[in-house]
Amino acid sequence: MGAPDGELTDERLIQSTLAGDDEAFAELVRRHKHRVFSIAARFTRSDAELDDLSQEIFIKAYRQLAKFRGEAPFEHWLARVAVRTCYDHLRKSRHDRDAVALDDVELPSTDNIEPRRAREVLDFALAKLSPEERLVITLLELQERTVREIAALTGWSEANVKVRAFRARQSLKKILETHHER
Amino acid sequence: MNDDQLNKLFAAARQAPPDTGRAEFGFETRLLARLRAVRQGELPWFVWTWRLAPVFAAVVIALGVWNFTAPTDPLAEIISDTSDEAALVAMLTGE
Repeated sequence: MGAPDGELTDERLIQSTLAGDDEAFAELVRRHKHRVFSIAARFTRSDAELDDLSQEIFIKAYRQLAKFRGEAPFEHWLARVAVRTCYDHLRKSRHDRDAVALDDVELPSTDNIEPRRAREVLDFALAKLSPEERLVITLLELQERTVREIAALTGWSEANVKVRAFRARQSLKKILETHHER
Repeated sequence: MNDDQLNKLFAAARQAPPDTGRAEFGFETRLLARLRAVRQGELPWFVWTWRLAPVFAAVVIALGVWNFTAPTDPLAEIISDTSDEAALVAMLTGE
């Protein structure tokens, strides 16, 4: 992220953080927290869970900060840490899959579905996918990332990302159809 | 459900991004507090060697005391007093 005049650059703040300056790290967090929250919010169900996951992401970033080489912008590096932490979070909370409930109201037509209702429906269906499928489809369809970006963020090959996205779509259609039939 | 319907669902959901404002409020303060707690809980390995030093010292002292006070085996003393050759002659002659 380019810093405006008089503002310290991310690289400068990282150096200060590594030298033990907590305030420098707080400033880094202030600058990038919205991006991290936007990623993590798609994988959590409450403010408390979001807060906890975001803290985990920044603590992981803090511990790995010495490995940041500055070859890519800090925000890209941080997004990678965030996505991988979210993936770990999904794997750890697999048993919560069935905890997400959708009330028995019939699914409205997708032609004029309200944005909030669409999100509820998708949250319900996404919770039933495997962590890999959920991560890929969320990044691809809800965060509108490209296959190449997802491959870079997750460390998976582009072919793998495409296969997982295809499977995720098939599973989602099946889950939503089943619910619709009830 | 077909692909077109699923795409419409995604498009609608994209229009309602999650509201993160509440969770973002005061986040830095909470994070730094947790970071300090994590750092306090993590002790480097060499600190543990110093912390365990009294235990190691106690083990060494206990072994030393046991070495001086443990009862000796009388049979072991006889065996150590008798040379191998004398033992062999005694066995052959039946003495």
